[in-house]
Amino acid sequence: MSISQTSAIAPGRAKAALGALRKVAASFAVILTTLLGLLVITFVVGRMVPADPVIAVIGDQADHETYERVYKEMGLDQPLYVQFATYLGNVAHLDFGQSHVTKNAVSSDLARVFPATLELATLATLIGAGFGIPLGIISAVRKGTWVDHLARIVGLLGHSTPIFWLGTIVILVFYAKFGLIPGSGRLDVYNEGLVDGPTHSILVDAVLAGEWEVFGDALLHVAAPALILGYAAMAYLSRMSRSFMLEQLRQEYVLTAKAKGLGQRAIVWRHAFRNIRVQLLTIVALAYCGLLDGTVLIETVFAWPGLGQYLTSALFFADMNAVLGSVLLIGIISIAINLLSDLTYRFLDPRTR
Amino acid sequence: MKRRSFLMASAIMASTLAVPVAVQAATPDDQLVIATNMSSMRGLDPNELNQLEAAEIVANLYERLIIVSADDITKPQPGIAESWTVSDDGKTFTFKIRSGVTFHSGNPLTANDVEWSLRRLVKLGLAPSVDLRQWGITDKNVDELIKATDDTTVVLQMPEVWNPNLILFSLASFSTSILDSKLLAENEKNGDMGREFLQTNDAGSGPYSLKTWRVNDLLISDAFKDYWQGTPKMRRVILRHMPESSGQRLQLEAGDVDVATRLSSTDLAAIEMGGKAEIQKTPGFGFYYLALNQKDEILSNPRVREAFRYLIDYDGLANTVMKYYGIKQQTIIPGGLPGALNETPYKLDIEKAKQLLAEAGYPNGFSKVYYATPVTPEYEVAQSLQANAAKAGIKLDLQGGDHIGKFRNREFEIFSARTGERLPDPHAVLASYATNPNNTDDAKLAGLIAWRSAWEVPKNIQDMVTAAAHETDQQKRADLYAKINKAYLEASPALVTSFQRTDAKAVRKEVTGYVGHSTWLTRWDTVSKGD
Repeated sequence: MSISQTSAIAPGRAKAALGALRKVAASFAVILTTLLGLLVITFVVGRMVPADPVIAVIGDQADHETYERVYKEMGLDQPLYVQFATYLGNVAHLDFGQSHVTKNAVSSDLARVFPATLELATLATLIGAGFGIPLGIISAVRKGTWVDHLARIVGLLGHSTPIFWLGTIVILVFYAKFGLIPGSGRLDVYNEGLVDGPTHSILVDAVLAGEWEVFGDALLHVAAPALILGYAAMAYLSRMSRSFMLEQLRQEYVLTAKAKGLGQRAIVWRHAFRNIRVQLLTIVALAYCGLLDGTVLIETVFAWPGLGQYLTSALFFADMNAVLGSVLLIGIISIAINLLSDLTYRFLDPRTR
Repeated sequence: MKRRSFLMASAIMASTLAVPVAVQAATPDDQLVIATNMSSMRGLDPNELNQLEAAEIVANLYERLIIVSADDITKPQPGIAESWTVSDDGKTFTFKIRSGVTFHSGNPLTANDVEWSLRRLVKLGLAPSVDLRQWGITDKNVDELIKATDDTTVVLQMPEVWNPNLILFSLASFSTSILDSKLLAENEKNGDMGREFLQTNDAGSGPYSLKTWRVNDLLISDAFKDYWQGTPKMRRVILRHMPESSGQRLQLEAGDVDVATRLSSTDLAAIEMGGKAEIQKTPGFGFYYLALNQKDEILSNPRVREAFRYLIDYDGLANTVMKYYGIKQQTIIPGGLPGALNETPYKLDIEKAKQLLAEAGYPNGFSKVYYATPVTPEYEVAQSLQANAAKAGIKLDLQGGDHIGKFRNREFEIFSARTGERLPDPHAVLASYATNPNNTDDAKLAGLIAWRSAWEVPKNIQDMVTAAAHETDQQKRADLYAKINKAYLEASPALVTSFQRTDAKAVRKEVTGYVGHSTWLTRWDTVSKGD
């Protein structure tokens, strides 16, 4: 009996394992194809940018011989497909090439600039979600009241105010006029060089090194740009949360719960909120992705040496290795966040298991 | 309960971030903080870079045989070479190397380092190598022409006779910085002569040594205690990347930075009004110019070329957009150099331009595509010209964007930009603007803007430029340059110069000794604060 049971289960398990393996392989194939597509598009578009990478390196007054020498040195004399194939070959060996502008390996540049953006985007997302979601929910629950109107106005302002303008005004008022916030950059000059690595996130590195003064300074520097970005994220998240919650509050189960005499708090948080968690997770993940690759304006205003500035500068000087490396990183991060949110769905919503 | 905790946590985080703290301003008395734009900096190898901001850094990390000081750029002075002699035939330069100079690594600086560094510049053959290559030194003959004869003597043989100042000025350029050959040999990779190492490290003997260098972010350099001229007063010099002009201005006014280097004219004017900082306008050896392609039938007409000179609003621009960026100049030798003229015979005169166009056979004007760099102030100057040209019947289709490649390949009609040379001698500008030995497309003399404009420079001008470069008598040479200047002005050149470029910086009033240098070699060891 037991033997027959075992033999019946084993092929079933093997089949399930094979199926899971197939799913994983298919997922990897999709990811690799996406990344390859991203690189192909970036490479082609990058080559169409009307900026000459050789001139960017040697200056516009250099003679023809120097131009030709550097042109070959940069491998631009090779056909495009050869250049791309060479790049792909190097990427397969985790070599992302050298930036023509910074002269560093692109991987080491990214290891330096990405943590700066990650720090900013993570704080902004925490602020955005921390305030936006409760605000949206309260707004939905108190629909039509002054709380709702106020929340909607705050949200609308966040949507319609250009980040660049807001950043400039904040600097003008809170830095230049009242001296309440520090100037641009990640640290004051006094604290520069006191903390170096290993994560390149100054907040984390300062904690690891026990440099609490540096930590405080870094926190003060990141506060203004993070709050501005967080405000924009909050505006988006609160509007979406409101709309998700309103939809839930119209459902029949809510009526039933009310009829059963359940309190509003229990209905909202124990029932309705549970049902919008997956949607909320999706929009928070999207907002986070958007912040990771879209903070360039605020990075420029606050002289924040992050990925956005790096990518913009690379595009301006047709620094293809840096552009491709940055795009690849953004692609990988976006995919990773989406995968992570997909996995989290499985815990939040049994139907997706 | 959970919701309350969640809201409470959010509120605490927000209050932590938004807590108003009186933020410390004013930089320390022994540190100099410079706000700059590092976007176009390409590493820190003196033999590779070709850019103003990086040149200033290299000027302070390294030293050169010759010094050209900011207060008298026409006189070569001893640097690492404590003395030199020039042979009677004018071809052999013998330099006596100063003893007791050490590199930041602790290695002593010897004649062998000088020999190795100068040879390296030529052998790498990158953009700044023109500083030596233009005198006939090539990668093939450099080992023969540049030799250390003992630990303190370096001999340079020139293939032909040049005015000695041209050679000495070249040896004062950032590109001819003396590198620590021993350190670079230790850090060589695949025969790269230390190129990779030098992108992010220094191998110099200058008053400052590199401590931290984060591209597009921050550079920290510390005073070199064993510097042979004494330890500099500023213990540390910090450069911060601030791409936004308004950000630089606010930080300067708040005292968080001492010097702001990339400011818009609006911010410069505001700073000047504010009274906390002074505006330095350093004249550069280059011009804002208009290039008219001489392969174009209409633009090659001398009267048409002359008409364009009357379509530029020199005075209007000088008082507005060019107030901080340029000095009105219509001749070809930059002010302050031998042969410079203080003549500005042209002014905005639409009627005169119309008359010249009519005489040229174009009474109703014509249409042309006009490429201009879309940056301040070049684009505003271009817009002004476009408006004036329209009044004279010339329709200019103004197109911004990066068209330098088309200009280099002679694929344009009208183009405008600015140039900047580093040699404090008229030859540098004239070689580019007034010589074009072969005007065919195949010659590809893209380093000369006269060739890019397809302009057959009058032979007498070209001959005089060549003669002046070889003339060893300084007075005769100055006379020759004055003649060239006049001849150029009368030639209705295809390259119309309107303003000599100036580089404007704002320096806080408590800072002294930070003096903008026309050849990009601003020194930090002369800086002090609050004296």
